[in-house]
Amino acid sequence: MQTKLAQLSIFVSKFDRRYLQLAFALLALVLLVLGAGAPEDGGRGMCR
Amino acid sequence: MSMILLVALLAGLLAGIVLAHFQKRAWQVPPLRFLWLVVIGFLPQAVIFYLPSTHSRIPDWVVGSSLIVSQVVLLVFCWFNRRVAGIWILACGLVLNLTVIAANGGFMPISPQTAGHLVPATVLAKYQIGSRFGTGKDILLLPEHTRLVWLSDQFLPPAWSPYQVAFSLGDIFIAAGAFWLMLTQGKTLQVSKIVEKDKP
Repeated sequence: MQTKLAQLSIFVSKFDRRYLQLAFALLALVLLVLGAGAPEDGGRGMCR
Repeated sequence: MSMILLVALLAGLLAGIVLAHFQKRAWQVPPLRFLWLVVIGFLPQAVIFYLPSTHSRIPDWVVGSSLIVSQVVLLVFCWFNRRVAGIWILACGLVLNLTVIAANGGFMPISPQTAGHLVPATVLAKYQIGSRFGTGKDILLLPEHTRLVWLSDQFLPPAWSPYQVAFSLGDIFIAAGAFWLMLTQGKTLQVSKIVEKDKP
């Protein structure tokens, strides 16, 4: 388990920290608009 | 379900990148704090609306309560980031949606007439008045039985549009706020700087 965690840590450290922060911020913004909004397309949208 | 909001976010991002290019600098992510609050706040909605294995098994009263709690957490996030440009517009939309949702038992009301533009009549006939409309946030209600009907999902795109979606006044504010946030990267837009740089 500790080996796996260490491997994961090394894998993550290979990425530039700024890109990870950017990706997380964009993901959070997507979740924010999805969570705040309430439009409805009937699950199909293109049904007409 | 919320494609129009994602389109607004993406359009704001693209416009922001173009603007940053003209200002000869890199686009930067808006300076938002407590982003983890968004993840926590969205989690109940992920379970009740987006996970296929769970969204049809949860009782309506749990769904309604969870949606309200979830949006309150998102509102707290907006409060902590109220000085970031665009967030207050988005927060206004969230307050409008939260108000009408809370006033109607935890769901966003939609009238049968509006819902008729989204699904065929045969599908609509399967829904009873007062029941949830699909597995989303909406509930089918007659306008005369809807509290704060002017805040409900009552707007539709033009009839010629191939993508039909019902949206609320709050959704318009949320889309505008998301666009503005991405365009300005959360900072006050300084048009004078752009004009000055363009001068020979």
